[in-house]
Amino acid sequence: MGVSQRVKNRFRRFLQRPGTTVDLAPLRKLLPQIEDRGSDLADLTDEELVEVAGGAKDFVEICAVGREAASRALGERPFDVQLLGAMSLLAGKVAEMATGEGKTLTAAVAAYGHVQQGNGPVHVLTINDYLARRDAQWMEPLYTRLGLTVGWVNESSTPEERRAAYACDVTYASVSEAGFDYLRDQLVTDIEDRVQPALSTAIVDEADSILIDEARVPMVLAGAVPGDQDPVHAAATLVKGLRPKRDYQVAEDGRSVQLTARGLATVEHRLGGVNLYADENTEQLSAVNVALHAHALLHRDVDYIVRNGAVELVDEMRGRVAQRRRWPDGLQAAVEAKEGLDATAEGEVLNTITVQAFIGRYRTVCGMTATAVHVGDQLREFFKLEVAVIPPNTPNVRADEPDRIYVSRAEKEEAMIAEIAKHHAAGRPVLIGTLDVKESESLALGLEAAGVPCVVLNAKNDEEEAAIIAEAGNHGAVTVSTQMAGRGVDIRLGGSDQADRERVAELGGLLVVGAGRHDSRRVDDQLRGRAGRQGDPGGSVFFVALEDNLVARHAADAVPASPKMRLEDGLVEDEQVDWAVEHAQRVAEGVNHEIHRNTWRYSVVIEQQRVALAERRERLLTTDVAGDLLRATYPDEMNEIDEETVNQAGRSIALYHLDRLWAEHLAEMSEVREGVHLRALGRLDPLDEFHRAAVPAFRKLVPEIEARTLATVEEIEELEDWTPEEAKLIRPSATWTYLVHDNPFGSELDRLIAAVGKRLTTEGR
Amino acid sequence: MLSAFLSAFRTPDLRKKLLFTVFIVGIYRLGATLPSPGVSYGNVEKCLDIIKNSEQNGVFTLLNLFSGGALLSLSVFALGIMPYITASIILQLLTVVIPRLEQLRKEGQSGQAKITQYTRYLTLGLAVLQSSAFVALARSGQLFQNRCDQYPIVPDMSAKGMPQWLTLSVLVITMTAGTGVIMWLGELITDRGVGNGMSVLIFTSIAARLPGEGWTIKEQKGWYWFFAVLALVLLIITAVVFIEQAQRRIPVQYAKRMVGRRMYGGTSTYIPLKVNQAGVIPVIFASSLLYLPQLALQFGDQNNPGNFEIWVRDNLASPTSWIYITVYFLLIIFFTYFYVSITFNPTEVADNMKKYGGFVPGIRPGKPTAEYLDFILSRITLPGALYLGLISVLPNFFFIWLDSQTYQNFPFGGTAVLIMVGVGLETVKQIESQLMQRNYEGFLR
Repeated sequence: MGVSQRVKNRFRRFLQRPGTTVDLAPLRKLLPQIEDRGSDLADLTDEELVEVAGGAKDFVEICAVGREAASRALGERPFDVQLLGAMSLLAGKVAEMATGEGKTLTAAVAAYGHVQQGNGPVHVLTINDYLARRDAQWMEPLYTRLGLTVGWVNESSTPEERRAAYACDVTYASVSEAGFDYLRDQLVTDIEDRVQPALSTAIVDEADSILIDEARVPMVLAGAVPGDQDPVHAAATLVKGLRPKRDYQVAEDGRSVQLTARGLATVEHRLGGVNLYADENTEQLSAVNVALHAHALLHRDVDYIVRNGAVELVDEMRGRVAQRRRWPDGLQAAVEAKEGLDATAEGEVLNTITVQAFIGRYRTVCGMTATAVHVGDQLREFFKLEVAVIPPNTPNVRADEPDRIYVSRAEKEEAMIAEIAKHHAAGRPVLIGTLDVKESESLALGLEAAGVPCVVLNAKNDEEEAAIIAEAGNHGAVTVSTQMAGRGVDIRLGGSDQADRERVAELGGLLVVGAGRHDSRRVDDQLRGRAGRQGDPGGSVFFVALEDNLVARHAADAVPASPKMRLEDGLVEDEQVDWAVEHAQRVAEGVNHEIHRNTWRYSVVIEQQRVALAERRERLLTTDVAGDLLRATYPDEMNEIDEETVNQAGRSIALYHLDRLWAEHLAEMSEVREGVHLRALGRLDPLDEFHRAAVPAFRKLVPEIEARTLATVEEIEELEDWTPEEAKLIRPSATWTYLVHDNPFGSELDRLIAAVGKRLTTEGR
Repeated sequence: MLSAFLSAFRTPDLRKKLLFTVFIVGIYRLGATLPSPGVSYGNVEKCLDIIKNSEQNGVFTLLNLFSGGALLSLSVFALGIMPYITASIILQLLTVVIPRLEQLRKEGQSGQAKITQYTRYLTLGLAVLQSSAFVALARSGQLFQNRCDQYPIVPDMSAKGMPQWLTLSVLVITMTAGTGVIMWLGELITDRGVGNGMSVLIFTSIAARLPGEGWTIKEQKGWYWFFAVLALVLLIITAVVFIEQAQRRIPVQYAKRMVGRRMYGGTSTYIPLKVNQAGVIPVIFASSLLYLPQLALQFGDQNNPGNFEIWVRDNLASPTSWIYITVYFLLIIFFTYFYVSITFNPTEVADNMKKYGGFVPGIRPGKPTAEYLDFILSRITLPGALYLGLISVLPNFFFIWLDSQTYQNFPFGGTAVLIMVGVGLETVKQIESQLMQRNYEGFLR
């Protein structure tokens, strides 16, 4: 590379995001050595290659061996840029690689490298089960050539299968499976029940999605609490007839709802004229609030779908059904009541961890994604990760057109259908990305009416995803999809067999049409990235209406009252409006960043406590301290009993109480968290106040465990006969796991903190 | 308290933060005593002596207090942190006027970063203005009310080949650059030290004056008075610490959870209403307002005052007069109520609570809650206002007692003590919170 090219590159990097990207030059220098070493390796037999693979330690050797093994096992020889990516991963960076550049293979070489460098076992964390299985099976021949074992974990895996998979050198798992396995391992009462070994290295696929978007969502392990859910069901009928504006008011940003005086009067009247705010009616009031939230803020086919008689949540960032995710605190039951379904059992939180804290348990973390630079600051702030921008193998020639902005949604849809029909007539494949399930369906109807046949891909048929996407690049194909088409899938021009490739390429390749800007620029970029894969021709254009939620919620005040527009079709051509749309997106991104930061700030102390308690639990689990405690307290009684029985009984009783107290502690902390923003009104720092509550509460836990253990022992008659049932210490009979979305209630408070706090500090000076 | 500080020092990362803060404060004090080029340090010393022993008080005493005495000696950090504070307040006000700024603020961190950038530019702009003004005042002798004209602070060096305009420009540039450095120091403390940088620097400036002023009392009145004042001051500080922490807790409940609801021994969720909900602002407002008569007198013919001017001078501009003390006291009470009503809007708080499902047990949300909050607030503000008033007029009684006006910018008096205790408590609480995370005992039991 010439000097001028290097200077140009450096300057480009400087302009992009100063300081957040890594210099690739030192790694680039290794490429010729890898090439040389590769020609030596080509002469080796397969057995010799495995032997050499086992001894590779430095980057050059690892990459050379990885490349040779890949071309033998998969028939794919990794490009230089893929090796650059692999080396960045080995160096613990987040590699930004465009769609279709072969991230899976890159990760496999890096995983091999990490194992060789003594960082094993390596977990490759994916965004869903499908990708975990697909990638593991796809890369298995490569790992075999390198002498490594590989396994994968799915939702349906049994504990034995999980244990076997985690015992491999490299394990592929979705981040939620890996996280839940970690949580479950924290609650075992027998050391044999553990499935996961100590966490070592994580290679995070779609790093921005998992590390930034998902990081806000805590994973929660919950036990069933038997209890009647009548209040929620009854409340669902209470709020049924309420109308917006008249009876209740939804906040501007659509995140909270409150009854108006009239609505409150109606509800109280229906309940027979009670005062909901009286002390004895708190539970009833909670039920009404939850039911109202479900009624007014959660929309079918947007926030959730109903399938097979069950409510399934839709992941807002990906448009897929969120696996095993439930709303917290009775909201799930309220939605079920709203849809007339039977309520599933409610969950009490047994243990919780945020994705970010879970990732933090790994000693080494690296990742890859197509859109990392936009979140470079956040990756550094939250994970201390730097971004390495890997250039594409062949330059990207996709044509991104400027947004087309209309005032009303109807105009937008009309223009969009016309545009799609025009390209479809010529035979160009079109992929339309919509914001939610409902919109995808109504747009599909509109297209059918205009005589454009199309295939719909949304959360309702996500199992057909791979088949639909494989053919989306066909001549004349029109695919309407939610954001789910955004990640992990590859659209080849001319269909899966690429028969029509030339013909489609001549038409300009795949056209991506966005039916609206998403909450984050990255999601837009991911959608655009479906076109123009590996230097293919392609194009993208977004249609935006000023009525879209994004603009209406976040930039209503920035849109001029009468924007300049083209008379014949209502296309808005106004610089101020262009700015307003970008502004709306930046506000949405800012809000999400703020939520992420607050979730994190408040979880730091809880994480420290979890680690401290986990050590104590480990000691209880692996030693006889509980038995020793019993013998010390009741020397006479205990010495009559067989030592092992005392140990065993003491251990289970103590572990039971430790887990219970931790669950209670978590519940108490979330209660404190809910109202801690009010402290800012007394010019106190809410976070400091939170610590002030959390630390003493935690200090009481350890003595309390001992006290409760002894109390239980005194209650029961015969220690030998001790079984949980007799002492009414029933572990939750059904334990399930789910992800709780933090947004429905809490997060708005954090912004209130910011607003109130800011006002007070600036004025208080 | 002391042992808690020790344990703070035993925690490595906290020790690093504390030492870093001390280091920055040291630099700040160094710059505050370092004379700017072109300023005759000897003459400044002489002028300060003249001022100290004179009966009249200067116009710039409050500013001088905030800059830790650096202003009158025209040191490198003469302007102190004030331009930065002024700039932040101006930008805060501008967000209300300019929609684009408000929109930037909404964009979260990235927008906020831009606003901070604007604040910095504005700070430097203000610094140029202020330093030019003070250099001009110094040159004409008005900085010391023309009572020190025999010792020029910025001597004319043109005879030695240094044209006067160059000297003055260097002065302005030096002081502006100094302001930039102070701004940076403040941000460094906020980022990597303990406490809020701006507050810590103000605290430093005020605290730096304590030894000197104490010594003045000893010099003029002897040891007996010195210890008497010291004891009294300690008593006041104790009282201020006590009252600053006093609060009324209004319990709040959130009715949103259906699972795992139970009452955890007492309420963990409440609105803390402080007895001194207004902080130090009413005192600053009131004393600024009482500067006006004094300022007006400067414009009059000082050698031949009329009857009205004499009355104003003896009553409204004289801190030892009973009229002055009464007016000051009443103004503070007024501003306390005024400020509390601005910063704590019961309707807004009630609406916010209602929006997120919170309520005061036994009280209906919306208007009844707002009325309840308003009732409690107006009750608790009365003792708060009386307390602020008393603390603020105490130094005036000192003057009467010591029979002298010399101690006008007395750092043990109202504003200074309130600011110092406020910042001190805030910083200690932050250290304590960080300590607690590391499972150590706290400072305030």
